[in-house]
Amino acid sequence: MTPAAGNNFDISRFSKKYMMEIILFFITLTLVFSAPGFFSLGNILNVFRNVALAGVISFGMTMTIIGGEIDLSVGSAIALSAVLTASVTGALAKAGILPMNQAVIIGMIVAVLVGLCIGYIIGFIRTRFNIPTFIITLAMLNVIYGSSALISKGFPVTTLPDWYNWIGAGQLFGFFPVPALWLLIAFAVAFVIMNLTRFGREVYAVGGNPESARLSGINVTKVKIIIMVGVQVMAACSGIILSAQVMSGSSTFGRGYEMDVISAVIIGGTSLFGGIGKVWGTMIGIVFLGVINNGMTLFGVGDFEKYIVRGLLILFAVLLNTIQVQSLQKAKLSK
Amino acid sequence: MSVLNVRNITKVFPGTKALDDVSLSFESGKVNALIGKNGCGKSTLVKIINGAYIPDDGTFDIDGVAMKFENPSDAFDKGIATVYQEMSLIPGLSVAENILIGRYETNGAFVDWKRTYAKAQGLLDEMGIDLPLRELVVNLSVWQCQVVEIVKAMSCRPKVILLDEPTSALAQHQTQILFRLIRELKKKDVIIIYITHRLQELWEIADTSTVLRDGRLTGKVNMAEAQPRDVLKLMFGDVEVKDRPADLAVSDEVVLEVSGFTLSPKFEDISFSLRKGEVLGIAGMLGSGRTELLRAVFGADHADSGTIVLNGESVSNPSPRTMSQRGLAFTPEDRKTQGLVQMLSIGDNLCHASLGQVSPGGFVNTKLMRMFADRQVEALEIKTTSTDLPMTSLSGGNQQKVVVGKWLNAEPKVIFFDEPSRGIDVKAKQQIFQIIWDQSRRGISSVVVSSELEELLEVCHRIIIMRLGRFVGEVRPENVTIEQLYSMCMGGEEL
Repeated sequence: MTPAAGNNFDISRFSKKYMMEIILFFITLTLVFSAPGFFSLGNILNVFRNVALAGVISFGMTMTIIGGEIDLSVGSAIALSAVLTASVTGALAKAGILPMNQAVIIGMIVAVLVGLCIGYIIGFIRTRFNIPTFIITLAMLNVIYGSSALISKGFPVTTLPDWYNWIGAGQLFGFFPVPALWLLIAFAVAFVIMNLTRFGREVYAVGGNPESARLSGINVTKVKIIIMVGVQVMAACSGIILSAQVMSGSSTFGRGYEMDVISAVIIGGTSLFGGIGKVWGTMIGIVFLGVINNGMTLFGVGDFEKYIVRGLLILFAVLLNTIQVQSLQKAKLSK
Repeated sequence: MSVLNVRNITKVFPGTKALDDVSLSFESGKVNALIGKNGCGKSTLVKIINGAYIPDDGTFDIDGVAMKFENPSDAFDKGIATVYQEMSLIPGLSVAENILIGRYETNGAFVDWKRTYAKAQGLLDEMGIDLPLRELVVNLSVWQCQVVEIVKAMSCRPKVILLDEPTSALAQHQTQILFRLIRELKKKDVIIIYITHRLQELWEIADTSTVLRDGRLTGKVNMAEAQPRDVLKLMFGDVEVKDRPADLAVSDEVVLEVSGFTLSPKFEDISFSLRKGEVLGIAGMLGSGRTELLRAVFGADHADSGTIVLNGESVSNPSPRTMSQRGLAFTPEDRKTQGLVQMLSIGDNLCHASLGQVSPGGFVNTKLMRMFADRQVEALEIKTTSTDLPMTSLSGGNQQKVVVGKWLNAEPKVIFFDEPSRGIDVKAKQQIFQIIWDQSRRGISSVVVSSELEELLEVCHRIIIMRLGRFVGEVRPENVTIEQLYSMCMGGEEL
């Protein structure tokens, strides 16, 4: 390394590497000075609470997409999980097996286990019959919505105990929203798995080049099944949080959530082709979405316009990502 | 009659001179074979003629009209048609649509299917071929696709047609059908250039053979007069086979015993044994089943039958996972798509076969990972400033070393090398050989597959020969010349 390169802070490389962070910083800064009521602890925590539902899933989705797969059924999985938790709780309480306060724990366990099974089925079909997960989960989306409507008979199920509300709407120390806590936990778990475990390395290898991974002795089938299970379990957890927030379970929950989730992952720089991506990037993506949404609300932007802005945002993020990759390649060629 | 003249063509790639002042000519009405071993420059010459490459120096012309192309479609417009090995057909369209793609008969904005099919039928009749015109290409067999490709190329009335190894994927009787078609082409005023690696075909189909070696023209022979040994001499020249280091000892202990291995139709009933520290070569032409054999023993593909005894233990149902755990390593022939994860770092790739060792208890120990990566960078002299750089920052030779290093980290007992020297320069090649010998000194055995026979003669203790999926013999490098080895691989008594 030349002394000049050692001493000088390379601003262009830094800005390229932390592009999304920098943009997020400036947007936040703008909002702080222009949006009424943005810069208060209450509002900032509000941002985190609002993105928690999609956020929890997006960390699972990050692993799935890095592993070269995708799950479009996570929105429906939210509905099923919420409906199951409430229905199982109601059924147990009605039958007099357990009081509702404890029955809800069984309800949550059932919801998570069902998510796990669905994820396993998707992963099994993917690896056994070599059908793209894009198709499998598109089909599952309908199956799962139908099932949750069937279980709930089309009405919201409200058999949930009072304490359960804490999971979705409680506050730690009187100010910190509990859903934001789940978001941080999901982030931490995904971060540890992807960066510190053998399994995480395997996900990158499998997503980057499944054939090379297989010939290196990595169990590609197992990795693919686990990532499909992981995202479904995260979706089930998100369903539990949502049902706790509104104290009911309904088959109308979660519609369109998959788009928020996938947007966050892509804005965070994860490649839809697999092999490239960072859990930290998804955190940025999630906060980015939250801040933009919050800012628009504070400025009184209507719901219709919000959709347009969010759509353009995704395009913009992918464009940025592509340009970054291309400029890297160009730099290599000219070398 | 027309003539394609190539004058003083030179093409340089970073590190190699692919073509060096090559001048030759091809006449119409004849099948002009273009031959030479791998890397002799024949593909480069083909790509210059069809506009894929622009020569650094030299010109070529057809009947005195200078040809200069910007790109392949430009060349195509000026009458140069190429039929590639890899099919360029669209599987979801019919035979007729594929032949006439982009040139359908129309009625205003609508396609006139009746006339289009009639036109396609006319083209088939002209060449004396019978094919179901309405069948979708996806339902055709490989030789039928090959025929469609040729008809499609000929339908544009080209001046030159380049056939790039058209028989490489075909069985014997299918080859005959293709030859009949090619003989039909001779009646038309078109310059046929035929690239092949199957030497025995030359006497059957070619009128002349032009031979390249190391980017230079070594000669042109008339097949009516040429003897096989003349052609071999032109291909190989006086090959100097370098000696293997003398200190490579082979013990009597057998580490790998493969018997009766069969995977129809790729290979049948192959048996071999490998001793500790031994370097065993498998010689054979493309399609001899050598790569498929290695893959099946490693468990990457599922064999029909056969047994494996590795380190004294019988192995049933091999898979890459179980075989690598048992101490077998495999460096595949295509490192880009099978050996490496290009988008990940050098360090990551070096640890891919030893993730268990670098992550005790399931958690990656980054220090250990760095150590594993660094020790291979040092031992194999991988040229890089940091193991955090992406794979794409390395040259071919260094990428190959990463594939080898990845496996050395797993501490194998036996390593399979499939085409270890493909696409790397001479110096890197020697370094790879050194690595193979170093492993032999440490008591690690290797099986090496290569199309470069002189390399096998240099590297191996012993060579087994496969032809069309069968075992045909075993030789020791010191007892055989390269021509003899080549003849055994090619088969045919006359060779």
